[in-house]
Amino acid sequence: MLFRAKKCLPKIVRMIFLLLLALFFFVPLFLILVNSFKPGDKVMTSPLSLPIPPVFDSIKSVLQNKSNNVFYMYKNSLTLLVFVVPLSIVCNSMASFYLARNNSKMSKFMRFYFLAGLMVPYVIVYIPIALVARNLHIPFGIPLLIAIFLAATVPFTTFMYTNFIKTVPVELEEAASIDGAGKFYTFWKIIFPLLKPCTATVIIFNGLGVWNDFMTPLLMGQVKTITVGIYSAIGPYSADWSMIFGYLLFAVVPVIIIYLFLQKQFIAGLTVGATKG
Amino acid sequence: MKHSKASVAFAIPSIIVYSVLLAVPILIALLLSFTSWNGIGEIKYIGFNNFLRIFKDKSLGIAIENTVLVTVVQLIICNVLGLFMAMLVNRTDRLTSILRTFYFIPYVLSSVAIAFVWKAIFAYNGVINTILKTVGLEKWITAFTSNRKGALICIIIVGIWNTLGYYMMIYLAALQSVPQELYEAAKVDGVNNWTKFWHITLPLITSGTMISVLMGLINGLKAYDIVKVMTDGGPGNSTETIVYSIVRYGFSNNMMGYASALAVALFLAIAVFTLIVLRFFRNKEVY
Repeated sequence: MLFRAKKCLPKIVRMIFLLLLALFFFVPLFLILVNSFKPGDKVMTSPLSLPIPPVFDSIKSVLQNKSNNVFYMYKNSLTLLVFVVPLSIVCNSMASFYLARNNSKMSKFMRFYFLAGLMVPYVIVYIPIALVARNLHIPFGIPLLIAIFLAATVPFTTFMYTNFIKTVPVELEEAASIDGAGKFYTFWKIIFPLLKPCTATVIIFNGLGVWNDFMTPLLMGQVKTITVGIYSAIGPYSADWSMIFGYLLFAVVPVIIIYLFLQKQFIAGLTVGATKG
Repeated sequence: MKHSKASVAFAIPSIIVYSVLLAVPILIALLLSFTSWNGIGEIKYIGFNNFLRIFKDKSLGIAIENTVLVTVVQLIICNVLGLFMAMLVNRTDRLTSILRTFYFIPYVLSSVAIAFVWKAIFAYNGVINTILKTVGLEKWITAFTSNRKGALICIIIVGIWNTLGYYMMIYLAALQSVPQELYEAAKVDGVNNWTKFWHITLPLITSGTMISVLMGLINGLKAYDIVKVMTDGGPGNSTETIVYSIVRYGFSNNMMGYASALAVALFLAIAVFTLIVLRFFRNKEVY
């Protein structure tokens, strides 16, 4: 009996600890979920109660808010994604081909030049970009944001692709070049399809980075992406909790759903850069 | 001409975008940091005055203190707890893998959304105080974020909630790379768990530890979003972080020169800390 207790106790303690942690992670998400479906006055009088019967007041108030239209925010964030993520893949996979398959001094310098970008606190670029944009009459807006985000993806994306391309045998390219294929053709037809796992990582990392970024769209023209949008809809001093939870539902649920479907890819995409480095 | 060499032409799009929107702006920031430019009017050269001013700036001093405090506390808690969690979830049964997936959710959410939920939790008429009232503990009701100490604790909790799952995953990957034979050999030798941890696990996950410490440090020094949403630097300026101060000086007070100097100094600080961490761990690495 004693022997068994000694063996079971750590197991029970472990489980209790893990479940307490789960509770810590769960409560904030639970609050969003239940409070978006409650009448406004119930939100802060009984925040933990279940929404029975569900009421759609807070969701309606979000959908009817014309000046802070949540679909307009989605549209902005999606536009950024649709441009930044593919452009980043095209530009940076090619750049990495150069970095991985060329041992010149120039290439080594470029590798360092790009990698140094990982340490840059992005706050440093906003004032100069604002200054230059104003002098060249470039308006703040989605196109400028696309360019800024694209530049921001360079360090991580080239780092990932360069390391990955190094694991691809050079013989493949040599065979192609004997057959008379040009470098450009060889890269896109032979090398790039082999980089799929790396491309998946990069899509998730950059996609989530763009989607969740707050500072860049806030300081570069207050473009209402989903993050800046909910920030300006709610404001720093609002206490209309019903509306707040409504907006949070729209901000959080799409990401969680996609995450649950693609959990393996998400976890790999967000940690592989760190663990394979 | 060698066939296996890729031409620099492949890298030109990235080089252009990166240079124009990252490298050149950093150079401009460096130039601005020696001026007293206020956004309009002429740009006047003032030498190192902006950098000297950093040491006399009281509100920045508070921001540095806050940033360092929040970074260090989060770094320690996230690394210790993250490693501990990783050891507990390092197995393959169904429940554990569900929990693991679950712990990672906060890391994929936007920090703005996260900060708003926690704001609702900590607010004076928020979730915690409402619950305290319902269970009859009215005397415990306080405004958690109305003083500097309380607000910083709240900010730290939110930061931990946001990133703990990430640290767990980094450590988990590191743990899974430790060869199992070592533990089996240790078991045969009758080594206790504590010794196993200090002499096998810890030395062999050094690269994971290094990454976790580095990420914690860099992200901590860049902290902005959570503070912006939860306290907006307040009460007063007492919970500002370094980046928050830079944004306030540059965009609200139009002190572009000084803000640029601060940003340059922060960049240098991050670079120096990164090198120190890399150096520190290089000596400890086990292959």
